Amino acid sequence: MAEIEIKSEIAGKVWLIEAGVGQAVEEEDAVIILESMKMEIPVVAPVSGKITEILVEKDEAVAEGQTVARMEG
Amino acid sequence: MGSPKRLAERAEAGILNARQRIEALLDADSFHESGLFAVSRRPGMADKSPADGVVDGYGRIDGREVIVCAQDFTTLGSSSAINNSNKSMKMWQTAEKNGVPFVYLSECSGARIPDIMGAVGMGSVGEGFIFSRRRLVPWADAVLGMSFGGGTWVASVSDFVVMRKGAVMAVTSPRVNTVAISEQIDPEEMGGWRVQTEITGKADLAVDSDEDALQAIRDYLSYLPSNCEELPPTVAVPSGSGDDGNRILDLVPEERRRTYDVRKVIDLIADRGSMFPIKERFGRSLVTCFARIEGRTVGIIANNPMFKGGALDVDSCDKATSFITTCDSFNVPLIFLADVPGFLIGVEGEHKKVPGKIMNFMQALELTTVPVLSVVMRKSYGQAYINMGGGRSDEMACWFTADISFVDPAVAASIVTGLDPKAEPERFAAAVEEYSLGCSPYDLAGQYLAHDVIDPRDTRQWLARMLEAHQPRRTGGIGAHHMQSWPFTY
Repeated sequence: MAEIEIKSEIAGKVWLIEAGVGQAVEEEDAVIILESMKMEIPVVAPVSGKITEILVEKDEAVAEGQTVARMEG
Repeated sequence: MGSPKRLAERAEAGILNARQRIEALLDADSFHESGLFAVSRRPGMADKSPADGVVDGYGRIDGREVIVCAQDFTTLGSSSAINNSNKSMKMWQTAEKNGVPFVYLSECSGARIPDIMGAVGMGSVGEGFIFSRRRLVPWADAVLGMSFGGGTWVASVSDFVVMRKGAVMAVTSPRVNTVAISEQIDPEEMGGWRVQTEITGKADLAVDSDEDALQAIRDYLSYLPSNCEELPPTVAVPSGSGDDGNRILDLVPEERRRTYDVRKVIDLIADRGSMFPIKERFGRSLVTCFARIEGRTVGIIANNPMFKGGALDVDSCDKATSFITTCDSFNVPLIFLADVPGFLIGVEGEHKKVPGKIMNFMQALELTTVPVLSVVMRKSYGQAYINMGGGRSDEMACWFTADISFVDPAVAASIVTGLDPKAEPERFAAAVEEYSLGCSPYDLAGQYLAHDVIDPRDTRQWLARMLEAHQPRRTGGIGAHHMQSWPFTY
C-alpha cells in the first residue's frame, strides 16, 4: 500500500468534507467538495483505497495543487 | 526471437513475446510475415539477430487487412539498426500506399550501438526512419515494455497509444540519462503510464496486461475506417440501446451549481456499451470518446462538470484539438455536449500559452469538414460556448435547461456593479437577476442562433436524425482533411 496525496485541481473554498479518516473509497469518489467558479466541485480519490488524513477544514481556502487529504491505495 | 532463457523469463513474468503479441492481436491464422530472414548488417552478428529484432507482416483484425510491426526485445533489445529500420519503414509506407491501418508494438532499447556510431552509422541508421506522416491511415501503438528511441518516436506520431502498466515511453533509457547528465532517474517517473496518461496525454489508455492492450487496439480500430478515403464501419445496434434515456433527468441537476459525471450521460445517449474514451485521465474537464449512434461511429466532445466544473484548461484544449484532428481525418462526425463555465484562466494558464491553445482548438473546429452537431445541456458561457460548437455546428440544439451568456450572471453583477454580495445582498441579487435575463434557450432559438430546443430525454433521437440529415452525400461522406498533417503533440 502506497501513501498517496489527494490534491485539488482547482482553487476554491472547502464546502463539504465527504469522506472521513479510515473510510474506504473507490477511484473518483468525492473526498472533499469545493465551492469554486459558482459551483460545487468534487476533489476525487485518484485511486481506490482508504483515507488516512483530512488536511483541510470547512470554509478553508484551498489553492490549486494543494494537498487536501492523504490516503493509502 | 532471442534465447530460450530470455523468452522463459518473460513467460515467467506473464509478459508476451513479440510473436505471441501478434497472435493475440490478429484474427486467428491471418498473419503472414515479411522479412523473417533479415538479420543485422554487421559482420558476425547474423546468428544473434533473427529478423533483426522486429517481427513484421500482414494480418487481419475483424476481417480487415492491417499491417503490424512488433519489436522483439529479446533480440538485441530490438535496438534500432539499418535493416530493422528499413523493415519497419517499408511496412508503414506499404500501409499508407495500400490504405490499411498500421499497428506498432513498441518495446525498444533505443538505437543500436555500435551500429549507429560514427558518421556512417549516423548517416545510415540515424537517417533510416523517415517521419513524414500524414493521417492517410490510422496508426495505433501499444507500448508494452521499456521503450526508448524508435519505439517512442512511432508512438509519438500515432493516433492512438495504449500502454501496459509497468511499461515506459521516453526518449532515452535511464542509463543514457545517467551517463549523459548525471541524473539518477526512476523510469516510471520519467515516462511511466501515469506520466503519459495524466501529465503529458501522450498515451490514450493504460491497461494491466499485454492482452488488454492488444484488445484495446482491436477495439480502437473498430471505430475507424481502414483509410481516410473510406467511411467508418457500421455495426449492428446492441439491444437495449436508448432504453434508459429517461434517466438523463436523474443524472443532470437543473441547478447550475451542482456537478455530475457527463460520461454517464454519454452512456445513455450512445449505443449500449459503445463508449470508448480517449485520454480519459488527461484534461479530465473534457471528455473525448468514440461511440456509436444507431451503429455509426461518432466522436463525442463533452464538458465534464465533475472535474474543474467542466471549465476548459490548457490540457483539455490540447485534447480537443487532437481529437477533432483525428475525427476529421477519418470522416468521423463530431458531437459536442456543452456544459461549460468558461476557460480556466489565471497566471498558470497564461504561462502555458492558453490563448494559443484556445485558438488551436477553435482553428481545428473551423477547419473541420465532417458533420458537426452540438447540444447545449446547461450553461455555456463566453468564448468556450463557441469552442464547444456554438454557432459553428451544422445543427445545434439546446436542452430546455440551457443557459447561454458571456459569463455567469453573478460574475457579471460583481464586475459591473462592484457590489459586495454580503454587504448588500438585496442590491446584488437584483443585479444578478438583471444579468440572468435573455439567457434562455428560447432567447437563442428565437433569433435562429440555435436550431432547436429539445427535451434532454430526446437527445439520442435528435442526434440520430440529424446525423442522417447532415451526412455529406455529395462527397460520400469523405471530408477534405485539412488537418491531415497537423502535429501529433501540442
